[in-house]
Amino acid sequence: MPTTNSESDLEPLAELPRLATTGHATHCKMCLAGLPAGQVDIDSSRLALVFYCLGSLDLLDIINNKTNNDERQMWVSWVWEQQTSGPYGSGFKPGPYMTPEKHLGVPDNDYSNDNSPHIIVTYTALLCLAILRDDFTRLDRSGLIKFLRSCQKDDGSFSTEPLGGDSDLRTVYCAFAISSMLDDWSGVNVDRAFGFIASCRSYEGGYGQSPFCEAQGGTTYCALASMHLANRSFLLIEHLSASERRNTIRWLIQNQDGSGGFCGRTGKDADACYCFWCGASLSILGVGELVNTSALARFVASCQFKFGGIAKAPGEHPDPFHTYLALAALSLHPPQQDVSAPSSWILQALDPLLNTKQDTAAWARQHIPAPGN
Amino acid sequence: MTSEPDAPLFADRPEWEDVVPLPQYENVDPLAPIFYTDEYKDATNYFRGIVKTGEMSPRVLELTENIIRQNPAHYSAWQYRYKTLMALKAPLDVELRLMDELAVRYLKTYQVWHHRRLLVTETREPGPELEFITKSLQEDMKNYHTWSYRQWLLAYFNDDALWSDELNFADQMLESDIRNNSAWHHRFFVVFQSGVRTGDENREEVVRRELAFVKNYISLAPNNASAWNYLRGILDHSATPYSQLLLFVTPYSVPRSPDADLVDVIDLENPPPSMGAQLPCVAAIEFLADIHENEGGDDIMKATELWRSLADEHDTIRKKSREYRIRDALQKVQV
Ligand SMILES: [Zn+2]
Repeated sequence: MPTTNSESDLEPLAELPRLATTGHATHCKMCLAGLPAGQVDIDSSRLALVFYCLGSLDLLDIINNKTNNDERQMWVSWVWEQQTSGPYGSGFKPGPYMTPEKHLGVPDNDYSNDNSPHIIVTYTALLCLAILRDDFTRLDRSGLIKFLRSCQKDDGSFSTEPLGGDSDLRTVYCAFAISSMLDDWSGVNVDRAFGFIASCRSYEGGYGQSPFCEAQGGTTYCALASMHLANRSFLLIEHLSASERRNTIRWLIQNQDGSGGFCGRTGKDADACYCFWCGASLSILGVGELVNTSALARFVASCQFKFGGIAKAPGEHPDPFHTYLALAALSLHPPQQDVSAPSSWILQALDPLLNTKQDTAAWARQHIPAPGN
Repeated sequence: MTSEPDAPLFADRPEWEDVVPLPQYENVDPLAPIFYTDEYKDATNYFRGIVKTGEMSPRVLELTENIIRQNPAHYSAWQYRYKTLMALKAPLDVELRLMDELAVRYLKTYQVWHHRRLLVTETREPGPELEFITKSLQEDMKNYHTWSYRQWLLAYFNDDALWSDELNFADQMLESDIRNNSAWHHRFFVVFQSGVRTGDENREEVVRRELAFVKNYISLAPNNASAWNYLRGILDHSATPYSQLLLFVTPYSVPRSPDADLVDVIDLENPPPSMGAQLPCVAAIEFLADIHENEGGDDIMKATELWRSLADEHDTIRKKSREYRIRDALQKVQV
């Protein structure tokens, strides 16, 4: 931590460049059109990448204006094609990477344990469909509840898949977000999950990925958002004591460093994705106004890639994950509107708990619960 | 067993002739399709073929290793590999040696570490793992997966022999980088979250030892947020009032006095800032403000002055949060 950061706030700001919205949209559309072989590691999380692309277009408000209906219907049917069901319930798989072709152009959809739904991907699939304003008549709701149930472990956490895979705070968050969108919590044991969340708390005030792990911005977001999603449904009392809450706020604020961006752990370099994870955590705690928004905008500006897209740090290559999360951070914490900040920096409003545009979240909450529920 | 870059395709190998390769289905209008290399298509075609028939044989290990080297995030290949190892009752120490290489190569991939956990849960031999982790931390001293694997290993097996040298290990990591927050976190885990070890039964003594330890590190490098967080962690954990640190913290919260280096009586309990350290130190001012706020009464004004100096001068990026503390504290006074 530098002793002084006199460059921000005191002097009149140097003018912010434009937020290159067109370039960022182009980056996301190009990724939707296809990825080079070098990104083969996306194979087992393709639908999550699709969410970051569609989510960016949604925040830039060009889903309905600048894409055509045929295109959107194609996207919708691709996402539905990933819904899969079997003995452990149903959900969404990341893509067709384990699905063989039966004959030309026809998938062989026999359920196999090696092509099962994935909890993180399922959360992103529901948001993709809400972004595209699908009516969710094709959703297997009871299968989804069964799927969540078969993923929860004795310690309260969830595995990524019914038959295994890692389990940590990320999967707890996805299970809670899915239950909240369904408005049906019968698939999760909330008390047990709360026990797991509490066991991940660190002395620094943040939460680690698993019990005993170092406090980290992304998993701190998962912990806080999970608790507040449950509170929203059950009107539970606050789960943090006053001193815990204060510690958490202190640690989150400390993570905004001299570059204006947030780091994910004490002493690490700032990274565009943590601008969202830490910034949204502060919003959830009701103190979003503590973010230094002009410094944040300057950091994001420095992460813009000259041909579109936002990178994790200045000089790095952009990707949809960091593009989306940087835009989501700006949506929650826009720079103050004055002569020094062009209006391109003002984006569509975001729901910090579900991590999607507010009216998309409203659509999800309206259409995902079982009819007549 | 290692696949060479110019190894022949599985389609061209006679020993794979009996497997029917199954090409991947792709929608005519796919979203984010990946333009796979021929080698990846070839290997995954055979993998889908194998999964379809349920074959679990030694050659499956070769095939899945090939895929993992092309895409270490391919979790189906990892899962199927693990199932095959179990079915074959394959020697897991051999697998672990292969993983030693892959873990360092794909340090940032979840699956590498998850697979390793599964293997060690089977072998129940955590001892050699500590040595492996220490080595792999040399590649990346702050790697989150590596550290959480170590924390899991210690907590899961939880035997005394495993813990015996852990504090030393944390010390060494801090010696090579006193700003490595992962090492500070690990120290907290070892000292306060792992039960009571032989020799550490006197908890007050442990708290005293840790306070002396962290004060010494703060004096070496006062502007180290990790050390200050550790200090706060000890105090919160042991319910020690921050005010007990007043004497220690004060010299860090003010500009260096010109005659500071002339002091000849050094208080060993309260080591002063090292020469050349940049003062005042933001974390010390913040700490002092917390002490004053806690005292209440007239001290609240002292706290607000300190927050004001942070907001306007020493830590302007967090101006809004200091002003929030000022408002909050003044409100409490009025009530
Ligand atoms: Zn990042």
